[in-house]
Parts: sequence; C-alpha cells; structure tokens
Amino acid sequence: MTDRKGPIMSPGIARLLAIIALLVLWEVMARLYADPLFLCPPSQAIAALPHIFSDPKIVNAIRVTIYEVITAFIISVAVGMTIGLAVGLQGFTKQAILPVILLLYATPQATILPLFVLSFGIGPAAKIAFGVSHGIFPVIVTTVAGVQNLRAPLLTAARSMGASKIQVFTSIVFPHMIPSFFTGMRLGMTAVLLGVLLAELYVSTAGIGFYTRLFAESFSPPDLFALIAVLATIAVTLNELCRTAERRFSRWHAS
Amino acid sequence: MKSGSRLAQRLIQLGVLLVILGAWYWGTLPGRINPLLLPPPAPVFRNFWVLLTTSSIWPDLFVTVREWVTAFLIAAVSGCSLGYIISRSGYAVKVFDPLLAGLYSIPAILLFPLYLLFFGLGPGSKIAIGTTIAFFPIVLNTIAGLAYVDKAYITAAKSMGANNLQMFWSVMMPAAFPIVLTGLRLGCIIAFLAILGGETISSLAGLGHRIVSLAENMESAQMFGNILFAIAMAFIINGVVSFVEARGKRGMQ
Amino acid sequence: MSRAETVIRVEGVSQAFGAPGDPRRVVALESASLDITRGELLCLIGPSGCGKSTLLNIIGGLAAPSTGTVTIDGQPVRGPSPQKVAFVFQENTLFPWRTIIDNVKLGMAFQGVAKSERDERAFESLKAVGLADFTNHYPSQLSGGMKQRAQLARALGLQTEILLMDEPFAALDEQTRMVLGEDLSVLLARTGKTIIFVTHSLVEAVFLADRVAVLTARPGKIKKIIHVEEGHPRKSSFMTSPKLTALRNELYALLHDEIRKTMSQRGETSEGA
Repeated sequence: MTDRKGPIMSPGIARLLAIIALLVLWEVMARLYADPLFLCPPSQAIAALPHIFSDPKIVNAIRVTIYEVITAFIISVAVGMTIGLAVGLQGFTKQAILPVILLLYATPQATILPLFVLSFGIGPAAKIAFGVSHGIFPVIVTTVAGVQNLRAPLLTAARSMGASKIQVFTSIVFPHMIPSFFTGMRLGMTAVLLGVLLAELYVSTAGIGFYTRLFAESFSPPDLFALIAVLATIAVTLNELCRTAERRFSRWHAS
Repeated sequence: MKSGSRLAQRLIQLGVLLVILGAWYWGTLPGRINPLLLPPPAPVFRNFWVLLTTSSIWPDLFVTVREWVTAFLIAAVSGCSLGYIISRSGYAVKVFDPLLAGLYSIPAILLFPLYLLFFGLGPGSKIAIGTTIAFFPIVLNTIAGLAYVDKAYITAAKSMGANNLQMFWSVMMPAAFPIVLTGLRLGCIIAFLAILGGETISSLAGLGHRIVSLAENMESAQMFGNILFAIAMAFIINGVVSFVEARGKRGMQ
Repeated sequence: MSRAETVIRVEGVSQAFGAPGDPRRVVALESASLDITRGELLCLIGPSGCGKSTLLNIIGGLAAPSTGTVTIDGQPVRGPSPQKVAFVFQENTLFPWRTIIDNVKLGMAFQGVAKSERDERAFESLKAVGLADFTNHYPSQLSGGMKQRAQLARALGLQTEILLMDEPFAALDEQTRMVLGEDLSVLLARTGKTIIFVTHSLVEAVFLADRVAVLTARPGKIKKIIHVEEGHPRKSSFMTSPKLTALRNELYALLHDEIRKTMSQRGETSEGA
C-alpha cells in the first residue's frame, strides 16, 4: 500500500464528492426503478420537510423527544457519576458492586422495554427512564475507570509537599477526572439516544413512534424519510456536541 | 486499598444477588407491589423452567436465530470485503474511514421504520436492521486491521524479498486477524441485540415479539420468564463468541 | 584476512527529507562515502538522529538516497537485495503468529528457497544460534535475548553474504548483550560474512568491530574511521584489555562533542545552541 506523493484532491473533498455521488445514484435509481409506495428519491424526501414542520403535532413530538433525551442525559450523568465515584473510590464496594453493574450493563435492554412502558405508561416518563437505563452504565464505567487511573505517585508527591485532603481532591483528583467525565458524557449521550429512540419507536400510539408507524402504514416514504432525517440530524448534532466538548477539555491528556 | 481474597469477593457478590432475590420475594408478597408490574419470583422461575424444558419457545427462538445468523453472515461478508477493498489504498482509507465512522455514530435504529415500510413486518426488516448495525464494527475493524499492520513486519518481509502475494497472505492477513476477529465478535453480538430491538418494536414472530405479546396480554409471570430466557441467551452468545475470539487469538502477541 | 576486496562501495550518499527551502527540511546524511571490505565487521556509531540507521537502510536498499550511489559487488543497489543482504532489526520483527522455526522458514520462502531445503536449513540456523531446543516456541514465549537470536537465525537462514544489523541488542540488558556479542564474533569468524553493525554502545563497537565509523551530529557525516587490530573470534579477555579501553576512550573523545551538539539541537541541555 503506497501513499501518493501529493494527493490529487484532499480526502475531505473526495469524501464530499463520494457522498454527492451516492445521493445522485439514489436519486436516479429511485426515479427509474422504485415503487413510490416503498421508496422515494432524496429530492422528494427533502420536499416533504416543510410538510413535516408545518404540522404542529409532529413538531411537538420532535420537541418532546429532544426534551426526553436531554432530561435522560442529565439524570444519567448526574446519577452515573455519583454512583461511579462512590463505587470507584472505595475498593470494597468496587469489588462487590462493580461486577453486578457490569452484569446489568450487558443485558439486552430491548427485552425489558415493554416492562418500562407497563410501569411508566406511554408518556415521556417511560422514555426518559429507558434512556437513563441505557445511559447510566457507560457513565458509571468511565467514572470508575477514571478514578482507577489516578496514579499513586501523583498523590504521594502532593502529600509529600504537604497538601491537605481537600487540596488533594481539588487540585489532583478533580482535574484528573475531567477527561473521563467528558468521555463518559459522550458515551452516555450515544446510549441515551439509543434508549430514548428505541422507546419512542416502540410506543406507536403517541410521540415519534406514532408518526413513524403512520407514515409506514400509509406508504408515504417521503414523509418517513424526512422525519427520520430530522431525527438523525438531531442525534448527530447532540453526539457531535459531546464529542467536541470531550476534545476541548481533554487537551492536556497524553492519550 | 485493601482487596479481600477472591473467596470474599465471590461471597459478597453472592450476597448481593441473594439480597436482590430476597427483596424481590419480600416485595411481591400479597398486598405489596402490583403483581402485574412485578410478579413473585416463584411463578417466574417456574415459567423459565417450562421454557427450558419444553419446546414451546422453539418456533419463536428459531425465527430469531435465523434472522440473527442471516444478518451476521451478510454483515460479515460485506463488511470484510468492503474493508479489504478500502484498505488497499491509503488514500481510500483517509477518504472512507471517517465517513464510515461518522455513519456509525447515527443511531441506526432510526432506519428501522424505513425497513418496516420496505420489507414489511416479517423477518426481512429484522435481518435488514441487524445487518445494518453489525456492518459497521466489522468494516471499521477490517480496515483498521489491514491498513495499520505494524510497519516493522512489512519492512522485514520486504527486506527478505517477499512479493505482493506473499506480503498479503503471510504477513498482512495474520497480523490483521486479531483485530478483524474482534470486529466480528462485536458485530455478532450487536446483530443479536439489534434484532431483539426490532422484534420488540414491530414483528410477527420471534423472542422479542413473544415478550411484547405477553406484555400486551398482561401475562406478567410468563413475560418475565421469557425475558429471563432472552437475557440468558444473550449471555451465552456473549460467552461463546468471546471464547471463540480468545481461541482465535491464541498464540499471538 | 588475506583479501582486502571491496564488497560494498558507498559514494557521496546524502539523505534529506523535505524540499530545499522548506523550513522543516531535515538533512539526515550528508555526503557519506565508505568502502567496506569483504569479511569485515564495520560498526556505525554516532549520536541519536545522526543518520546511521538511514545509512544502513540505504545500503540495504530499503531507502533510496537523495544523492549518491551504493554498489554491492559492483552492482548498484536499487531496492532490497534479499539474495545478498539480510537484516536484523532492533525491534522485534519476528511474526508473532508463527513459531520461530516457521519464522525462519517463512523468511526463506520470501527469498525464494526451495521448499525441500527449508526444514533442514532452518534447523541448522537455529542450532547455530543456540536455539535448537526451542524451535517450536512462539516469540512471545521467549526472552528478549532469545528473540534477537531467533531474528539472527532467520537472517542466517537466508545465507547471504552481507548482514546488516541495526542496534540489534539495544533492547537487551548489558549482560545479555555481552554474551550475544561474543557469540556474534564467533559466528563471524566461522562464516566470513560481511557485517555492518549500528550501535550506540562504545564498548560494543570496539569489542566487535574491525573498523568503527564515527558519524557526526545531524547532518551526519563520517567524522573518522578507527581501526581495531584484533583477530576474530574476539576473546572475553579483550573486553577488559587496555587496548580496548584506549580505543573506547578515543571513541568517547570523538563522540562527546557530537552528542552535546545533538542534545542542544533538540533543546535538551541547559547550554545555548
């Protein structure tokens, strides 16, 4: 595998062209071959966007979804970090409870989704709860890992210079935890998105799930594509925000 | 931080499990938690036992397993092939690797309604979502494995006169194998989870569908029994796949 | 040593990275010229970044010089020459997914040795480096010294006339280095190969070499070539002899300023540039 000396065009531009080429291909193939009941070209999907946004009920469903994601995210991070610190800092609890947490982390949560809806109903509560159920685990695990990585020599050096316990916490432990905090946030956001969206799609009598089912059952691919595109954009934006925050605040981290 | 002996750890974990079981039993005694929300442990385990010992779950189990295996195979073949093709050129890696990584960050479950529209409520939409989600770790790991072989091995082989074919089969493939295997393990497990998710949202058969039907019919004890079964299955799959991965990596640094 | 025949000729070799005028341009080697005699062991020594590994790679055809030529037996070097040149690298380049005897056989497969010959040659090579009992071990099961022996065996299995070794013992502890150095000297006496050996260690250079080429700090030039008049195989008594100490001191005097210069180039000392 050789690298060209002086590429023909920058990879970023090549990537853009590749995406455009794929969209054009999709457009052409859809127009020529697709049954309009099942597939539509991207141009029609884009054209359906105003239709989506003009319906206040749909807009509200989207707004509620965003609210659910953000709420679940905040709860996941707050509770997750607390549990993570409590478990990680104390060796005893760590060895006892961490395996149980990891066990819960590994369960296929889709199987208990009906339970959540049975318990919390079809409103935002179930979705927030399911989102928290997804998001809390990566936050706990990264927090525990962050605490574990605290190198003993740093603490010894500080103590030898006469630092009090509070000073050790504020000037060593706390700044040290920042990168893992932001990593946990990023992973937590991805997990919360998955949980909330899964719950929303499951509940087909209200919210986003109602409209995805409606558009699917009434065979309106442009509306369905448009709605999904909007949700995907929101999800990517939220993910990117967390990723950027992580990058910015972890600059001093060697890894 | 003192760490107790292994035995003490195991005892603590057993203790925690017993506490949870105890709380479950105590919480579901008559007059406490609504048995529709949380049935007592005895009927749940009885149902679980029925599932294990009779063939009642087999038709749905077969549907889920068939969807899962199909999805994984399609994802594995397409992921490894595309990963191989892209890894042939450093430029292609620079162009497509970030693109694929970016696509991976979109919650793919959003595509499921589209698949429902296109493939209907049957296994097709489940296989489609399983393939889509499993594809990404496989293709990304294949690229990573093949494109980033330790330069030291390539230099050594070149100095000994290896031709392109020898370089690929005797150096790059074995070097990439552990990473590719990890991608396949991730893809395998993720495919199963994605299919369970799809079945839960909308399906006509399968493990997820069973659980949803039982929920809708308020058959809580049976639902919990089935949930236990699905969780047990997920753990077994995880264990087996991880074991295969570890065996595959045996003998390599 | 009866023949003073030149087997490798290095003429005016320079190596630069980056275009002229580019502020990040690095000149690794400047106009290095060297004649290497058949059957000698030549050491290249110099401070970090002086281009000694670059020079070795150029001689072995793994890199092309910016200017100048290298000829082996009169033929210009245009790429790897597996029939004539075998490498031993500093880092572990044994393939971890194969046993060491399979590693040796794979090297021969790359070179083009017939399948029927490989088994026996591989075993003989491993025997020559003292690893006859470990042929079916994986590299991860071996110590650092044994891994380097196995690399040497792989190189020997190619039965080339020339051996290029790039700090092969650098990752090993001093005691292992001494033993392996003595073994290398014995091997040289027995096989009459031409060996170019890059090292950081002054004592190692004097102990092993017939000649030591000292390179300057970047851009690397050949500062001086020191001769070591002592027959192979070198005895362990040579290690503690006054002759070696005198030569070592001479090397130190030559290198000391170059090392300081290199470190100040990198901003590593408290002295000014």
